[in-house]
Amino acid sequence: MRLLLVEDDLPIQRFVARALLEAGYQVDAAADAKSAEALALEGVHDALIVDLALPDRDGLDLIARCRAQGSSAPVLILSARRSVDERVKGLEHGGDDYLTKPFAVAELLARLRNLLRRSSAPQTESVRLEAADLQLDLVRREARRGDHVLQLTPQEFSLLEYLCRNAGRVVTRTMILDHVWRMRFDPGTNVVDVHIYRLRSKVDRGDCRPLIHTIRGVGYVLKEA
Amino acid sequence: MRRTAAWRIALWTTLAFSLGTFVAFFIVYLMVAQEVRARSDAWLTGEAETLAQVAHNTPRDSLYDQIVEEVAELAMREVPDERSSGGERLNSVFFLRVDPTPGGNNLFVGPGSKGPFWRALQQAPLVAGVPQSVRVEGWPLAFRVVVLAQERGSTIYLGLSEGGVTHILQKLTRRFLGVWTGTVLFGFLISYLSARRTLLRVERITETVARIGSQELDERLPEQLNSDEISRLAKTFNHMLGRIQASVNQLRSVTDAVAHDLKSPVTSIRGTLEAALSAESSEPWRDAVGQAIEGLDRVSVLLNTTLDVAEAQAGALHLDRVTVDLSEVVTQLVDLYQPAMAEKHHEVRTDLESAVVVDADLGFINRTLSNLLENELVHLPDGCQINIRLRAHEGNAELVVEDNGPGFPPDISSHAFERFVKGKQSPGYGLGLAFVAAVAQAHGGAVKISDRSCGGARVTLSLPISALQPA
Repeated sequence: MRLLLVEDDLPIQRFVARALLEAGYQVDAAADAKSAEALALEGVHDALIVDLALPDRDGLDLIARCRAQGSSAPVLILSARRSVDERVKGLEHGGDDYLTKPFAVAELLARLRNLLRRSSAPQTESVRLEAADLQLDLVRREARRGDHVLQLTPQEFSLLEYLCRNAGRVVTRTMILDHVWRMRFDPGTNVVDVHIYRLRSKVDRGDCRPLIHTIRGVGYVLKEA
Repeated sequence: MRRTAAWRIALWTTLAFSLGTFVAFFIVYLMVAQEVRARSDAWLTGEAETLAQVAHNTPRDSLYDQIVEEVAELAMREVPDERSSGGERLNSVFFLRVDPTPGGNNLFVGPGSKGPFWRALQQAPLVAGVPQSVRVEGWPLAFRVVVLAQERGSTIYLGLSEGGVTHILQKLTRRFLGVWTGTVLFGFLISYLSARRTLLRVERITETVARIGSQELDERLPEQLNSDEISRLAKTFNHMLGRIQASVNQLRSVTDAVAHDLKSPVTSIRGTLEAALSAESSEPWRDAVGQAIEGLDRVSVLLNTTLDVAEAQAGALHLDRVTVDLSEVVTQLVDLYQPAMAEKHHEVRTDLESAVVVDADLGFINRTLSNLLENELVHLPDGCQINIRLRAHEGNAELVVEDNGPGFPPDISSHAFERFVKGKQSPGYGLGLAFVAAVAQAHGGAVKISDRSCGGARVTLSLPISALQPA
């Protein structure tokens, strides 16, 4: 997967590029709209990550031009402008998703994966999820750890399902709220954490190896430690 | 001075005034001139007829000429003896009788000799009985002449110099010009002075405002008791200044508060990282970085919420309205918060009317309601009871969140919806209720707080019910 990162703020460009490289993507970086357009028109990129405030031109303009040239690669917009208006405008101008600064790298990666999945052929929805010795039956909404059936509330099941789908990847509290409760805000309190503690007390119970881990300052990950 | 508005106003007013009065005079002049001429002509015609009659009735004897001449002279004396300043007689009159019969005598009574008069009369196309103007050589002004034919071919001419009429009209013109000039000058002076007086007040406003622009905002314009346009301008200006001052003060306090609130997380982040760096091993780094990120997340929440509240209060909130069933939203939020509430041994009771539908921005409504629940979570001591009620009431969806905790601190309850107002014990930033109020207002709703009679706090949020909802 090859990505084009357009960001004029070099420290941000560096850390995002590094995070993308670590996640296994190839990254071309550009710091202004002109060079970005030249790179984008090569047509080799699977997705574009575009900052809206570029020194020479507006990022929206760049996206519109790429779209006009027939580029169909999905575009993730990065912006410090956080009003809903800007978000709507960005999506109208050909952006596919929108992320406001400051953002968690985990969220950037999750959104990117989402975009790339969307643009490739639709996958057949599986009815079972597995991670380590955890098995989720999505039809019967039943979870098993080994051969032990977990007694989960519907909410806890959704939460576990989300963690399972992202097994091995860190998810932030905001992402959990967004995907499990369909709410987009930063909770000021530990509401999400309490749900995780409860889930953990059921999943990682007794002497079995813990699966749900807290990544301090970022969020949670489901993996075999 | 020529650049001042007072000068221009006075100039244009005066110009319009002088033009108007001039046209009025001109019309009066034409009417007077016509009248004077008509009177003069009437005298001339009447006198000529009298003379013709006398000439006709007088027996033609040797005394005939003498009698006619005397009558003519007598008639001329009736003309008012107008003299110009030079002493020249203005109302010159001449009388001429021409008798073409052989032996007939021509009779001339008038100033100077007959010659020039006779030559002028012969050239003029005169019609009997109608006064006309005839120019006579040697006389600066024309004569009005009436001609009457008599039997036996003789003709009577009677002429009156136009001097009198001209003199009257000249006098009229001179006097009018004098009065007109005076009036115009006086009018100009009055309008200039009054315009200047008025505009000086405007000038004072300008000066004050210029001072306010460069110095402090607490200066005000002098307000007068009457309510003319300029007083209203001053009042409006003062009103605006008051509002600007209030918002500048608020801005200042908000900036101060944000700066203050940023200091503590920044200090703690810096401290954490510094401590980690100076530790012997790299083992505590991971933990310190995590703590730093958590601190930065709090800063980011503070900044976002501050901006949201500012935007909402400025009325710049862009609402993406959809039909929202509040009962569903509340149920979902209570599910989300239930475990955290249980953690603090709070009991949450809900009494929700079903299908209470509003047109609202779901994202903002979620955040607003979560703010209310977070408030309960943060401010209540352990083991309280929280009641959440939702009902449709008088066209509004009314959501009540109440608890049996300590209630609102008395010092904040009057301005709990302002930004950065919070209780002394509160760990938050004082943005929660400000945000709730701003969002409610943006949706055309309202929020109010009160203390319950049995102790505890109550927040009532009302939003207009969707018009599309089936009755």
